[in-house]
Amino acid sequence: MAEAAMQLEESSATMIVKSSRFGAMEVDPDRVITMTSTMPGFPESQRFVLRQHSSKSPFMWLQSVDNPQLAFVVIRAALLVPQYQPELPVTALRELGEDDSKLDMLLILSIPKGKPEQMTANLLGPLMINSATRRAKQIMLDPSKYDASWPVFEPEQA
Amino acid sequence: MLVLARRSGEAVAIGDNIKIQVLEIKNGQVKLGIEAPEEVAVHREEVYQRILEANRRAAGGHDIDLEELASELRRWEGESKPQDSTE
Repeated sequence: MAEAAMQLEESSATMIVKSSRFGAMEVDPDRVITMTSTMPGFPESQRFVLRQHSSKSPFMWLQSVDNPQLAFVVIRAALLVPQYQPELPVTALRELGEDDSKLDMLLILSIPKGKPEQMTANLLGPLMINSATRRAKQIMLDPSKYDASWPVFEPEQA
Repeated sequence: MLVLARRSGEAVAIGDNIKIQVLEIKNGQVKLGIEAPEEVAVHREEVYQRILEANRRAAGGHDIDLEELASELRRWEGESKPQDSTE
């Protein structure tokens, strides 16, 4: 009896995240990422989950927990633009937690419908995630140095 | 909107701990000094706006084939790698 009750508790510890793209996803609450400040344009979405597109794909989905319709395609910055190493504002990073060895930088991709070759990455507002604290923030950099719509398939603009 | 006229060197206080000072006015440009607590985010408005627009574009209901995109990316990376790569 006690065992069954415990199991029940355990299974209720996973949360269901509704997603228009993936249906109902079972998510470990420990994997939920919380934005320390909302992403411009999406103030209603404070919590997200990161979902690998497939085991071999470089792409990941950043699915909003608070808005089933909202999902971004993201990629590790180091994978897409190795030479991109912006100086990050210390105050912004402090919000994410002390241990900065756990920081990951992701880039949000825009992929125009039917024109994947025109894919752009947002280098002006990279997404920093601390994998230890599960806190994240979209950082705002210097617009004279970084492009919000950097064309991925045109290397000369890197 | 509250409108205040300020000369160079004068400031505006917002609440107890935010101060915005006009440092210089030259060639149609105003240089502002902003003192605010760390937790208050201060950016040029257009940066926020550009990121907002990029976010909206990125979120725009794309039904993309990410597998195809991944192979395109690999192909492109293969082509753009320097010739003298030691790998």
